[in-house]
Amino acid sequence: MRVMPPRATSIRALLLAGTGIVLLGVLGPAAWLSYSGSEEEAQELFDARLATSARVLEALVARQVERATITSPIVMALPAPLEGDGHDQPTPLGHYYETKIAFQVRDASGRLLVRSASAHEEPFAPLEPGFSTRPIAQWSWRVFSLRSDGVWVQVAERDDVRDEMSRKIAFAAAAPLLAGIPLLLILVSLLIRYGLGPLSGLVRQVAARQPGSVAPIELARTPAEIAPLVEALNGLLERVRRALERERRFTADAAHELRTPLAALKVHAQNAVRAGSASERDASLQRMLLGLERSVHLAEQMLAYSRAAALGEGARAEQVALRPLLAQAIDVVQPLADERRAAVHLAEDRDAEPIMVRGERQKLLSLATNLIDNAVRYSPQGGRVEVTLSRNGEGASLAVADEGPGIPAGLRERVFESYYRIPGCGGTGSGLGLAIVKETAQAHGARVEVQDGPGGRGTRVVVRFPPNDSTMPAETNLERP
Amino acid sequence: MRILLVEDDELLGAGIRDALVRALCTVEWALDGGKALAALRAGEFDLVVLDLGLPVVDGMDVLRSLRAGGGTTPVLVLSARDTPPERVLGLDEGADDYMIKPFDVDELLARARALQRRQRGAAVNVIEHGRLRLDPASLSVTCEGRAVPLQRREFMLLHKLLQSAGQVLSRSQLEESVYGWGDGVESNSLDVHIHRLRRKLYPEVIRTVRGVGYVADPPP
Repeated sequence: MRVMPPRATSIRALLLAGTGIVLLGVLGPAAWLSYSGSEEEAQELFDARLATSARVLEALVARQVERATITSPIVMALPAPLEGDGHDQPTPLGHYYETKIAFQVRDASGRLLVRSASAHEEPFAPLEPGFSTRPIAQWSWRVFSLRSDGVWVQVAERDDVRDEMSRKIAFAAAAPLLAGIPLLLILVSLLIRYGLGPLSGLVRQVAARQPGSVAPIELARTPAEIAPLVEALNGLLERVRRALERERRFTADAAHELRTPLAALKVHAQNAVRAGSASERDASLQRMLLGLERSVHLAEQMLAYSRAAALGEGARAEQVALRPLLAQAIDVVQPLADERRAAVHLAEDRDAEPIMVRGERQKLLSLATNLIDNAVRYSPQGGRVEVTLSRNGEGASLAVADEGPGIPAGLRERVFESYYRIPGCGGTGSGLGLAIVKETAQAHGARVEVQDGPGGRGTRVVVRFPPNDSTMPAETNLERP
Repeated sequence: MRILLVEDDELLGAGIRDALVRALCTVEWALDGGKALAALRAGEFDLVVLDLGLPVVDGMDVLRSLRAGGGTTPVLVLSARDTPPERVLGLDEGADDYMIKPFDVDELLARARALQRRQRGAAVNVIEHGRLRLDPASLSVTCEGRAVPLQRREFMLLHKLLQSAGQVLSRSQLEESVYGWGDGVESNSLDVHIHRLRRKLYPEVIRTVRGVGYVADPPP
């Protein structure tokens, strides 16, 4: 089954989009409020100005013209260049926008006395005091009517001019807020880039790694958020480094350990070839066979050790009954025991229920075989090897005792090192037996201990398995510490 | 040639011993460093074949101890320690040669002969002695160009005497070079071998020095 990679999410995109939405959500309404508020204020200001100009007209003009006898309305003409639609540049004579502002002065009866050139004859609006908005010709006009002492003053402004101006004022108030959004987004984007910089550095460092380079990752600056990731990665790298180091050492040691058995094989082979007589040749060939057997045993032990030390690959944990496994292991070792006239004895079962441990059957068998093999190998002729299996609280305890020379207290840790043989012991072992036992035990969460044999004679090796929790998944159980 | 073999691996040691014995050497075999030191104190050897990874006393310490005591016996190290620094250390501590396991037996024997030759100050293996010519590589002796078949111990005895030509060797020195440790030595067998050598070659080849031993006088 192909595993689809999960959809990649980008922290930078998320932060940018989020910030953009937040900015729009906050600054957008703010800009709108500012816009509409400014526009309203501007309209109010324009109204006030309209009213003021009406009052000024009333004060300066209306009272004068009221008493005069006016037969036809006086028209306040504009200088010719300002008439009609044109440019919107100020001129020395005035501004053509003046055509968009108009006034009328009437007497109490409504007769027109004075008007601006931009105004027509008809009243802008019904003669009622106050503000109103009227359509005149094709435009909408804002009109203010003022009545005082029998004179009507009407002042009007084109709405589109007012609107244009108020919109401009409102826009000027709101625009900076909106213009700030892209600027802010750019700044936030730069900030995110800087903030995520260590993450990119981490990616570059990991991507640049060669399979063998396991030095810890070092970043110029490690933010608190990714420190746990870097720490976890470095922890992993350290474990990989140790595993690689072990493998490397194992291979180097293996090549080294093969030298002596191979040298023996070669010497005897050459002796056989150059033998002066048939009996000499036979003697050399016999020794060659011994050497071959020893090399085969060494190769098997190397394989078992490298399997025991493999990082739980392909680990298939199952419930394994220890007693039948021990019986099987004793069968494997029996020929060697017979050769050495050693008796291997498995203590009686007093338990009603079988003692189980969770683990890999093949590896557990290798553990038991190596323990018993080791005991037999170092037993004196006719010695006795006692194998006991007992319950140890919730767990199981396996002990193998021999009557051999024993292991001095100072060497009880070293005997578990690969290829370590106690000097002068004269054994024919590979030096891997107890190393296999220890690796396998560790992989099963068990502890191994070397003690004095019964009565202070020989050696007793005890393997203590942890409580057998059948609900525990294999991965947890087989994980090395 | 009298050789001290120091090797803790029984199978390998037995093979080397067989090969050396076939090359007409007498071999004393020590299984650990302590026994090697004891053997070096007790007797004289023409060559030490020394393994380094030894129980009790490490091979390097055996070598240092031998050289510290002024011993000049040639030492050929035979070791699984194969890195250049280890070889350099071995040679610097006084080894005369260094071979890595697994090794070729013929090469080991050739190097042993070369060390022997160097010890004697000669450039070639073959020893010319007047009418005699002894080749330790092919284990052959000729007298005036005529091949003389010799028994194993006769050859070893003649080799020892010609190597130390002009030097009087005691009975025990000669016996050591012919019999390994544990070989039964009959009280008159040395005289028997000397007698046979004189008969097969010519009477004056070995001169008896009364009460001291024997000498092969340098040819005139």
